[in-house]
Amino acid sequence: MNPWLNAALRVLACIGLMLLNGALIIYMLRKVLGHMHLRLGPTELGPAGIIQLIPDVVKLLVKEDRHPGKTDRWLYILAPFIIFVPALMTWMAIPFSNHLMAIDLNLGVLMILSFLTIGPLGVFAAGWASHNKFALIGAMRAIGGAITYEIPMVLSALVPVMLAGSLSLKDISLAQAGSFWYWLPGLPCLVIFFISSIMETNQSPFDMSEAEGELVEGFNVEYSAMRFGFMYLAEFANNFIMAAIIVCLFFGGWTLPFVNPTTMGWLAPVVFLIKTYLVIFLFMFVRGTFSRYRVDQMLALGWKKMMPIAIVYTALVAFVLKVIAMKTGGGM
Amino acid sequence: MSKKWFPTGIFKALGIVWKNLWRKNIVIDYPWEKYPMPERARWSVQLKYDEEGAIKCTACGICEKTCPICAIQIDVTTDPETRDKHINHWEYERGGCMMCGLCVESCPFDAIYQDTNIELAHESRDLIRIDLATDVDAAKAKRAAAPKPAAKPDAPKPEAGEEKPATKPATEEGGKADESLA
Repeated sequence: MNPWLNAALRVLACIGLMLLNGALIIYMLRKVLGHMHLRLGPTELGPAGIIQLIPDVVKLLVKEDRHPGKTDRWLYILAPFIIFVPALMTWMAIPFSNHLMAIDLNLGVLMILSFLTIGPLGVFAAGWASHNKFALIGAMRAIGGAITYEIPMVLSALVPVMLAGSLSLKDISLAQAGSFWYWLPGLPCLVIFFISSIMETNQSPFDMSEAEGELVEGFNVEYSAMRFGFMYLAEFANNFIMAAIIVCLFFGGWTLPFVNPTTMGWLAPVVFLIKTYLVIFLFMFVRGTFSRYRVDQMLALGWKKMMPIAIVYTALVAFVLKVIAMKTGGGM
Repeated sequence: MSKKWFPTGIFKALGIVWKNLWRKNIVIDYPWEKYPMPERARWSVQLKYDEEGAIKCTACGICEKTCPICAIQIDVTTDPETRDKHINHWEYERGGCMMCGLCVESCPFDAIYQDTNIELAHESRDLIRIDLATDVDAAKAKRAAAPKPAAKPDAPKPEAGEEKPATKPATEEGGKADESLA
């Protein structure tokens, strides 16, 4: 096959998955959060309101693309794409099964975590270019939050990486099939990674840069129509990505206990998606339960609790692994 | 009490939400299901009709004068000879009405009431300002057959009050009349 065509098809598949995932998460968000709050969610269109998504997308597509005056024009246009493209890129390295992934990167974890760091930059660009004080405050918070959660997140991702001895998400999943799932030895890291993921995806207890109640919509307050749609979609894509990384790092990816991970066939992506959406359900569970933290509380949580725990635990695991390696005579 | 080292409240909250997820919803699917309105709910003003289907309104205009926001306007033509009243329009501004009920309280003929319909949103402005009655004859202003106070044997005569200022020294009759009036 023509390599260009091959690459284009892979990118298209990622975009298609991203759109489908966006639709599914919007529906989940409404129904699951609704029932948690003893509401009904959408009910009118289709069985249990499932067709409600189509008018929503049509609304985003046909709405007026408003462009407020005094904005930084080029940055304003560019910002949704700075948010959207990294979110799309991260889909490339997600292993849905032994073979089913866009690229088999041997530095998958590093690639995904570094691309996710570009997201807050786009948020800042959007807030800065909007020429709006709410947007600017939201953007500042996004940057402050990013510095807070990135370091504990990366440190806690190091534990499964050290246990598996690889940075490839596929190898980490396979390593867990051979021994045990890494949530057991990495429980504090799982908790820290989970909280950081909620911060990363801008969800409710830590939705600092959006802050519906105080900043209207934060960084995207001046965006409308499909520009807003891109940001919306990127947010849901990030949601899926974080859940997928948690599944890969701590819950064995597509593997199941006592099943040969390389011969699972069609079952592998199904298992992977079920696990991922269970983690997304957990995100929503947390989102539907807690009220929002203050900014200083979130920063204190990040710097004073998560960071020391992550550093100490990572160092501990590294030390133990080194000792085991020395005892057994193998090098690490 | 000292701070707990373990945040038990977080898990309590999660437990409550988990229970809520399986509980029956406290809301209803509104346009398709409705709560029964309480019997004493008081919403928009409606006219009352008697057994023959004629309106009970006499077009006296007291409700119109009582209404603090002029939501009621009655357009009346009076026959110059018989003094019979004819209602051209009994206009009621549903959008402006604040459902205070002063008109209903003030109506001496019990001709209007507040119904229990809460669905007062409409598609057009023409439906907000409506005619409750158009081009009908108003009811005759006649008192209902209330028991007259004179029917009692020892009731004071109506003249007693009027005579009181004339007869300065209070007679027995005058004193009785005063007591009964008070």
